[in-house]
This record gives sequence, C-alpha cells and structure tokens, in this order.
Amino acid sequence: MSERNVRAEETVPEHDGEKAAQARPGDTTPRKMVPGKEETPVVVDLPKTEREPRDVAGEVVGAIGAIKDGPRVLKTYMETCVKCGTCATQCPVYFGDPSKKYNPAARSDLIRSIYKKHNTRSGKLLGGLVGARDYEDREVEEWVEHFYSCTGCRRCATFCPMGIDNSVITRKGRAILDKLGLTPDTMKRVVEISLETGNTDGATLEAFKAAIEFLEEEMRDEHGIDIKIPVDVEGAEYFYVPPSGDVLVNPEATTGIAKVFYVLGLQDKWTMSSRLFDGANYGLFTGDDKSMKADNEPYIKEAKRLGAKVLFMGECGHAYRIMKMMMEPGKWWGDLPFEIVNCMEFTAEKILTGELQFDKSKNPQPVTYHDPCNFGRSCNIVEEPRIIMEASCQDFREMYPNRGDNWCCGGGGGLSAMDDIYEFRMTITGKKKMEQIRDTDAKYVAAACSNCKRQLTQLMEYHKEDVAVGGVHDMLSRSILINGKAAERVNYDD
Amino acid sequence: MNSASFFVLGVLPYLAVVVFAAGMINRFYTWFKTPQPGKMTLFPAGGSATGGVLAETFFFPSLFRGDRVLWFFAWVFHATLALVFLGHIRVFTGLIDRVLMSIGVSPEGIDAMSSTLGGAAGVVLLATGLLLLFRRIVQQRTREISNFSDFFALLLLIAIIFTGDLMRFGTHFELAETRAWARSLVTFSPIVVNNGMFQVHALLAMVLIIYVPFSKIMHFGGIFFTQALIKRR
Ligand code: HEM
Ligand code: SF4
Ligand code: SF4
Repeated sequence: MSERNVRAEETVPEHDGEKAAQARPGDTTPRKMVPGKEETPVVVDLPKTEREPRDVAGEVVGAIGAIKDGPRVLKTYMETCVKCGTCATQCPVYFGDPSKKYNPAARSDLIRSIYKKHNTRSGKLLGGLVGARDYEDREVEEWVEHFYSCTGCRRCATFCPMGIDNSVITRKGRAILDKLGLTPDTMKRVVEISLETGNTDGATLEAFKAAIEFLEEEMRDEHGIDIKIPVDVEGAEYFYVPPSGDVLVNPEATTGIAKVFYVLGLQDKWTMSSRLFDGANYGLFTGDDKSMKADNEPYIKEAKRLGAKVLFMGECGHAYRIMKMMMEPGKWWGDLPFEIVNCMEFTAEKILTGELQFDKSKNPQPVTYHDPCNFGRSCNIVEEPRIIMEASCQDFREMYPNRGDNWCCGGGGGLSAMDDIYEFRMTITGKKKMEQIRDTDAKYVAAACSNCKRQLTQLMEYHKEDVAVGGVHDMLSRSILINGKAAERVNYDD
Repeated sequence: MNSASFFVLGVLPYLAVVVFAAGMINRFYTWFKTPQPGKMTLFPAGGSATGGVLAETFFFPSLFRGDRVLWFFAWVFHATLALVFLGHIRVFTGLIDRVLMSIGVSPEGIDAMSSTLGGAAGVVLLATGLLLLFRRIVQQRTREISNFSDFFALLLLIAIIFTGDLMRFGTHFELAETRAWARSLVTFSPIVVNNGMFQVHALLAMVLIIYVPFSKIMHFGGIFFTQALIKRR
C-alpha cells in the first residue's frame, strides 16, 4: 500500500522551461486529475549521465556536517532528543500506520545518526553505542520515501517535551535529496512550472484573464450589479495574492474577496497581478532555499512596483507563512515598504466592526473548519476563519482537536500535489482527518489552503463521503449582503 | 585496593569536575553561538517566551498533553531526582541543616525528615526508573527508536540509585565521614572513606558526571534552546 513510485530524473535538470511547460500542456485544472493509477514498485536511480562520478556519500555527509554551524534549530535537534516516543503518538502518519519507518524520531535519526558519527566526540569514539553510524552506500534512494512521508505539519513539536520540530529535519533531508536531483518527479514538476510561469498550474495570461471575466460575470448573475476584480492597477492599496489555482478552479474564494472589497467601498483600492496570481511556493517543500527565495522575490518586486501598502495574502497557509514568518523576519529583501496581512484577518476585523452583514440562511448545512497547519500552528490565524464562518453560516461545528492541536489533512509538506502517493495519502496520512470530519457530521469542510483542499476533496471521494470541500471566503461569498441582498443562487455543485 | 579507592575518591572527582565543566561550557557555547534566521514560533504561544520555557522545564506541560502516562512517570522521576540532588547537598555539607535549623527545625526533626523523605525518594526513584526502562523495552514506538545509549543512561542512573538505596537501607554510613571527604576534596587533600558500597556508588556517580556532557542527559540544557525557539513571540 505504501509502495511508492518515485523516480528521479535521468539527468540533473537545469530549470528547463520548455520541458516543464509541456509537462501539463494547457492543463489548468490539475485538481481534477484522477490519480492513483500507476502504483508500481519503488524505482529510484541516481543521476547517471554525470561526467564525473558523483561522490554522493561525501555530499550527504558534508551537507549534514554543515548543520554544525546552524541554523540553531537543526543543531540543537541533533543533540537533544530524549527518544521518548511522544511524537509518534501525535503524528498523523504514524497514526495511520504505526511502523518504524513512519516514526518521526526514527526518520529524524537517519540524519541525526550520521551527524553524530562525524560531528560529535561521543559519536566518533563510541559509534553505534551512542546511535552514531556512517552513511551507507546508495542509502539516499530509500530516503526519498522516508522524507516524503512526513507532511511537515509540526504536530509532533506541539507535544514533544523538548519542543523538537521533526519537520525541520525532514526539510533538511529533502534539501539533500534535491541537491542530488532526487526530488520526486511529481514535486519537481510543480517547482519547475512555477518558476517558469509564475504559477504552479502553468496557466497562461489568457487563461487568467478569461477566468477573471468569468468571475465578474458570475457576480453579475448573482447580484445584478458590476463587482470588479481589478487587475494590474498601479497605486492600488491592496495587492491580493491568491492561493494556488484559486482563480481557476475555486472561483468563489476570489468572488468572496471581491465582494468584501465592494461592500467596504474599496473596489478601486485593490488589485491582482496578471503575472503573479499564485502564492504557492514549493521551495518550502523541496527544502531548496534558493528556489524558495527565487519564487518569493517576484511578489515583493511586484508589490513595490504597484506601490501597494498591503501585501494581501489569500487563503494559502504556506504562502502566508513564508511571507510572515520567514521572509519578513529573516529580512530576505531588506525592509519592506508594505505590510503583510492575511485576507481572513482583514475580513474578520470588518465583521467585528459590523461593516459586513450576512444572510446565514443561504448556508444552512452543517459546516466545519479544518485548521491548515501552516495557518494554525505556524501563524496563529485560528480565530479569524471562525469569525467568518460563524457570521456567514447557520450551523458551524468544531472538529476536535482543533486550532493549534489540529490533525494534518495528510497532504501537508507538498504531499497533496503528489499523485504517485495517492493511496498512501488516502489510507494512511489522511486516516485521522477522515475520522475527525466524520465525527462532525458536517456537509461542508472549509480549509484555508489549496493543498488541504485538494487532499480533503480526494479523501471525501476515496472514502465515498458526501461532503463538499472549499474555502472560507467561499461561504462568505454565498451569504454576504450587498445592498441588503445576498447572492441569488442555490446550486453550487457545478 | 587502597590505590583503587584512592583513585575513585581522590582522583576521579577532580577529573569529573573538569570534564563536566569543560563539556558543559562547550555545549552551551556552541548552541548559543549558532545563528537562527527566521522564526520557528509554534502557536498557540501565550504569555512570555521565558515563562513558557520555564513551565516546560519544571512541569512538562507539552508531555502532559501528549502522553499522560509517560508524563506521570517522567515527572515523578525528575522531580524526585531534583529532591535527591538537594539531599546530596546535605550529605556533603552542613548547609541544608543550617537553613532548616534557622527556620526552627530540630536536629532530630532533620534526621527524621531525611530518613522518611530521603528513603521514600530513593524507593520512588528506583521504581519510576525501572518503569521507564520497562516502558522503553516493551513499548514498540519507544523501543524502535532506542539505541544502546538510551538504555545505558537509564541503566547507569538505576545502578546509582540502587547502590544509594543499598547504603541507606543496608550498610550504614556516617554523615560525618562523607562531609569530611567532601571537605578534603575542596582543600585538595583528599581522604578515603572506607565503605565499599559508598565507593561503588561514588564510582558510578563519577562515571555519570563525566558521561553527561556527551550524552542524551544534556537534554536538560538543550531544552532551554529548543523550547525557546518555538515559544519565541
Ligand atoms: C531541566 C531539567 C530536565 C528536564 C526538563 C528533563 C526533561 C525530561 C523529559 C521531558 C524526558 C522525557 C520523558 C521520559 O522519557 O522520561 C526526560 C527523559 C530523561 N531524563 Fe530528563 N530532564 C531534565 C534533567 C535530567 C537530569 C539532570 C537527568 C539525569 C541526571 C535526566 C535523566 C533523564 C533520563 C535518563 C531520561 C530518559 C528516560 C527514559 O529512558 O524513559 N534528566 N527528561
Ligand atoms: S517527542 Fe521529541 S524528544 Fe521525544 S522522541 Fe519525539 S522528537 Fe524526541
Ligand atoms: S511534522 Fe507532522 S508528519 Fe512530520 S513527523 Fe511531525 S507530526 Fe509527523
């Protein structure tokens, strides 16, 4: 069941735009793909066509040795685990299948043991007695499965008595794999497309413009008035960066935002960019800091070019986290001439001041909210989505546990985009989530994250549950009052 | 035999102190100087970061929420360990006696306290230590991540606790003697205490002290760094 079909490129790819663009030609609906077809045995090859034989062992040991000089998280994580096993009890993957390879501390030990061998006195002297061991030939091939079976959800860190965040070690493992060209194809493709086209779907300018027009028409149908979605407006106050694929496949999220701005009379104060309409950044998931920064920089430049005062982030957990917790405090691009605000913070505040009104009867079905790990645990955006959901829906229910303690959807860390591990995601990593959602009896699960949405949609299909999955502003879009009236529409199934 | 006891009680202590101090300073210094770009804050993170770290150090609240059974044993084990540590100050100096007497406890009272509290602590420590060891062996998720050093740290502690208990409940030992020994060490004119069990106990303790900076027991220092990273606002 956990068999993986992870195949590395024959050659170490330079970012070959052409090839990347062809990978999903014209495919603007990747979220509708039918996955899980090719579950063949593990085939992982090291790059073969190198001119010089590569010293893989040396590279791995070197990369691990570099931890000695930081960052501090990694270094202290190498030296303070007490092996108490608590992380295993709290990990969605180990919950789904309690075998050793999914035990967080065991996975982290793949790197820790090599670190000890080469960088600690006890490891050099006593070896196996202190859990130190040397790198084994071709071992990285197995690492692909190991490091791509952690969802990076950080739930382990919440309960670890030492506060060890195993996802940091996972990311280091992935970074090593990435350097060796061993990032799984499915993941690599997303990164390449994203760097090439500026969005993870590889959508063109035309597709984007058509989608925007379509959304404006929808809103005209719903409300009988023109509600604009401004594009490329210089001097706009808010530069809206939506999550991956939202404009194209989750239309209501964008209409929800547009309606909020309209009601607040800020219709002319915000804008989207026709070049940059996908906040997703897979560099976080491949562990490659360079591509993470390369993917991030254009947004900063664009915000500056537009002269925006607010970088207005959409319902995308990891995009917001990178901006708010990594880029800004890490001063990647120096001091910023704008603020970084999440759309849910913004909307929730306007609800609390009474500026937005709703007709809750438009959303009568029981709904629940799934806290995306990157919003909840990593950014503390937990009350805002609830304020929006409670205001716009009649029957809001919590799942338990929730907020910072919520279980991962099972698709975190970029796994949700990997169709080669579909079965694994449906039966193992998503097992706990499925139980949680079932317990609420909700008919709609909102998740402020495109990765979560994809994973949850597939979970519901796979487990034959009649539960719709969408965003937070989607619910708002259906019930917000514009000139005293909510959208005139009943059927949202298509 | 005499030269062996002299090594254990007259030489090893100095070695232990030097290795321990150098090892600790080195570990803390390297952790301290390693840079940390970006934030790792894990939410909810209420209150002050320092408060959060201290709470984790004294009460293990994360473990409490994560694994209550382990929390109970681990907390009792560590709290008793701290108590026994205080008790050892009394074994080697008159400090605790003076403090207690200054607040009006009679010398008989102190002795009674020592034998009930100290005796109970010795038993509790041994029991929880053995339970933790048992857990490590039988519980799949813990066994599969344990290596020799994880067992060794516990076994060494249990051996020290066991010999300590034997001294308390079996062979007699004199406070006057241990205090004289401690004083002799401080004045660099070490003497030997002729008590076999005490010598074994001291030997194991010296091994532990030397072992600490290189072992998982350094978690008592690491926790301040790892917890601070995720509690930072
Ligand atoms: C600030 C001080 C300390 C804190 C916060 C702390 C915390 C913890 C925690 C949370 C655990 C995991 C639970 C467990 O497995 O029992 C643990 C394990 C352990 N601690 Fe400590 N500890 C501290 C000091 C010490 C000291 C000074 C020693 C020994 C001299 C020690 C010895 C151990 C041992 C041997 C284990 C492993 C127990 C096992 O194998 O199950 N700890 N510690
Ligand atoms: S919970 Fe923390 S200390 Fe315990 S085994 Fe897991 S990572 Fe190590
Ligand atoms: S980050 Fe999440 S998936 Fe990864 S080890 Fe921790 S709990 Fe498990």
